[in-house]
Amino acid sequence: MIKKLLFGIGMMFVCTHSLFALQENDIASSMRSHIDLATSILRNTQLAKQERSGKIFAIFDSVFDYTLMAKLSIGAKQWDTLAPEKQREFTKLFEMRLKNSYMEKLDLYTDEKIVIKNLEKIKDTRIHLTTHLMKNGEVYEIIYKFYKTANANEWMIYDVDILGVSIIQTYRTQFAEILAKEPFERLLERLKEPEPTNTKAPQ
Amino acid sequence: MRLLLLTCFFTLSLLWATNPTPQQANEDVETEFVDKTGEALFDPLEGYNRFMTDVNDHFYEYILRPTAQGYAYLVPESARKGLSNAFDNLFFPIRFVNNLLQFKWGNAFEETERFVLNSTMGILGFRDVAGEELHIYAHDEDFGQTLGAYGVGSGFHIVLPIFGPSNARDLVGLAGDYWLNPLTYIEARDANLVDNTTESVAITAFYMVNRTSLHVNEYDSLKKDAIELYPFLRDIYESRRNKLISE
Repeated sequence: MIKKLLFGIGMMFVCTHSLFALQENDIASSMRSHIDLATSILRNTQLAKQERSGKIFAIFDSVFDYTLMAKLSIGAKQWDTLAPEKQREFTKLFEMRLKNSYMEKLDLYTDEKIVIKNLEKIKDTRIHLTTHLMKNGEVYEIIYKFYKTANANEWMIYDVDILGVSIIQTYRTQFAEILAKEPFERLLERLKEPEPTNTKAPQ
Repeated sequence: MRLLLLTCFFTLSLLWATNPTPQQANEDVETEFVDKTGEALFDPLEGYNRFMTDVNDHFYEYILRPTAQGYAYLVPESARKGLSNAFDNLFFPIRFVNNLLQFKWGNAFEETERFVLNSTMGILGFRDVAGEELHIYAHDEDFGQTLGAYGVGSGFHIVLPIFGPSNARDLVGLAGDYWLNPLTYIEARDANLVDNTTESVAITAFYMVNRTSLHVNEYDSLKKDAIELYPFLRDIYESRRNKLISE
C-alpha cells in the first residue's frame, strides 16, 4: 500500500512537473540566482571548460524552450513540412548552436556585473525580464522573453533580445534566406560549421 | 493502476481549476516575428552589399584585426582606454547638437557637464571623471538617430566600405555629423582641429585601430553566431538602430 501511495505521489509530480518550472512570481528571483550561479561557475577556473558548460546548461535547460525556439527560427510553415526526425535533428543542432553562443558570451563578460532591472507583463501570456550588464560604465541591455505554456502555470524563455536585437529574429532571417536558395539538408550541414560559410576562416 | 489513473486525473483537474483558460501561447508567438525575405524586404543593393560585406570582412580579418592586435601588444590597455575616452570627448559636438535637435535638454546639459569636467579634470578627456566619479554618462546621439526621431524611415540598406552596414537615412546622417566631427577637415568650416585631409584620414584610421583593439573579442564572438554573414549583420544593424532611435 505504501509503495503504491509513494508511486502515486511520484506520478503526481510527473503529471504536474510544473513544480520545478518557473512560476510567475519567482521569475525574477530564480533568474537572479541562475545568473549568479552561472557566473560563479564560469569564474571557477578549477573546472575544465567542458565541465563548466555542462553545469551551466543544467541550470538553464529547464528555463529555455529550445524546441519552440527552433520552430520559431525556421518558421512554422517550414517546420510543418519536416518529418518528425528532421525536426528533432534540427532542434538538436539549433540548441547546440544557441548554447555555444551563450557560453561564448558569458565567457566574455565574466567580470561584469549583471543586474535585474525590470519585470514587465506585456500581456497575460508574455513576460519580459530586462537585465543590465555593466561594463566600463556602459550598460548593455538584455531582455529575456518568457511565454506562459499552454498546459500549466509555467513560464519558459522563447527569445532573448540583446541591445534591441532579437536572437530568434536574426536566425529567422538567415534561415529564410538560406532556404530560399539551398535545400534543408544543406542548412543542417551549415549549422554544424563553426564559422559563417560565406567568409573564409582566418588562417 | 486505478490509483495511478485517479492521481493523474486528480492533479490534472487541479491544474484545470487553477488555470481555467489555458492559452494557446505557442501559436501566436510566431506573430511577434517578421518575415523579411523575398519581395517583402526592400534591398535593392543586395548584390553589391553582399560583395562589400565580404570585402569588409577580409579587410577586418587580414588588415584591421592584425594591426589592432599588434598595436594592443605594444600599448597597454589603460593607455588605449584613455585614448578612446579622449576621442569620445572630442566627439562631444555631435552628441550635444543631436541631443538638442531631439529636444533632449537634460541630456544635452549632461553632455556639456561631461565635456567641461573631462576636458579639464580628466586631462583632455583621457579620464572619464564625470562618468567614474559623478556617474554622469554619455548620451550617444547622431544625426541618423535625429532623423529617425523625426520620423524618417531607414530606406534601403547599404554596406559602406570599411565603415560597414548603414542605410539611406544614416548615410544622410553621416554627412550631417561630418560637419560636427572635429576629426574631419572642412575648409569652409571656421574651426579645424587638423590641418588637412591627410591628417584627418590618418587620425581617423588611428581612432579605428584603437577602438578595434578594445573590441576584438566581441566582434569575433559575434561573427561566430552568423551562419550567413550578410543578412545577419543587416538584421543586427537595423534592429539596433531602431532600438537606439526609440530610446
